Amino acid sequence: MGIIRKVPHYAEKIPGGGIITTALETVLHQAQAKSLWYLLFGTACCAIELMCTGASRYDFDRLGMIYRATPRQSDLIIVAGTITKKMAPRLRRLYDQMAEPRYVIAMGGCTISGGPFYYDSYAVEKGIDHIIPVDIYIPGCPPRPESLLEGCIHLQEKIKKQKLSDWQEK
Amino acid sequence: MTKDELKDYVSSHFDGKLTPLDTGRYDPMFQVKSEDLMEVARALKADENLQFDYLCNLAGVDTKEHFEAVYSIASISNNLRLDFKVILPYDKAEIESVQEVWPGINWYEREIWELYGINVLNHGNLKRFLLPDDWDQGHPMRKDWDAPDFERMPEF
Repeated sequence: MGIIRKVPHYAEKIPGGGIITTALETVLHQAQAKSLWYLLFGTACCAIELMCTGASRYDFDRLGMIYRATPRQSDLIIVAGTITKKMAPRLRRLYDQMAEPRYVIAMGGCTISGGPFYYDSYAVEKGIDHIIPVDIYIPGCPPRPESLLEGCIHLQEKIKKQKLSDWQEK
Repeated sequence: MTKDELKDYVSSHFDGKLTPLDTGRYDPMFQVKSEDLMEVARALKADENLQFDYLCNLAGVDTKEHFEAVYSIASISNNLRLDFKVILPYDKAEIESVQEVWPGINWYEREIWELYGINVLNHGNLKRFLLPDDWDQGHPMRKDWDAPDFERMPEF
């Protein structure tokens, strides 16, 4: 409902008419930020926290976050869990299948740097930013739902600060 | 049959091909020469008092001196468990496949071949198993293994 409350702030009323004028940029980015559908992509224990965030106690839905089971319907990919070298090409493939504009949240230590598997591991990719561009990093092992919610709010702020020209050219 | 009885029984039968090792309160462990492996496996399964018909695990070990292949087997009908290991020198790391006795060992043998480079003779399907399909960096569970992006834990 955030967008409805903000419309009078940005819109200019025309006397006697039911028409309002507003900046396209504002409306588009508000709409985009308030309905981020995320791809279900959980590979380890972070996925448990992601599930918990999506359930009734934390109610991810109030931020407009709804889970999707296919990359073609998703705006956001929350990479929740360890990405192994064998998984990396699959992650890249899912990311490539998402429609623009698309965003990436790296959730947890494993996706940021390899986390607890940084040393002595032949199998774990040391950070998903070697594979796909990341917008928001959420540290923690695994991060609590509050951290994930805050990360998503930061992403919304980032989206709202975009210029229309940014994502047209992307 | 208790663990001690099992240990005595296995040591005294099978022509002394299984040498008992000290494992304290854990399941009995034996050492087998690699040339005796097939014979011992067949005998352990065929023996009427033992009937080791189930393979739990095959583990590889790199001790920095030699390789070890550790077989864990169980008998469902007699409720027994037993481990035996085969020591393999670095320069001749090869072992006979025991699929004839326990067919379930197939994947474990592929795994130790892939991760330790222990060659399994007469396996029949020795190809890439757990590592990525285009892997070309050798056998990562060996102690002397290294790769460009591999970081060893520093000494604290």
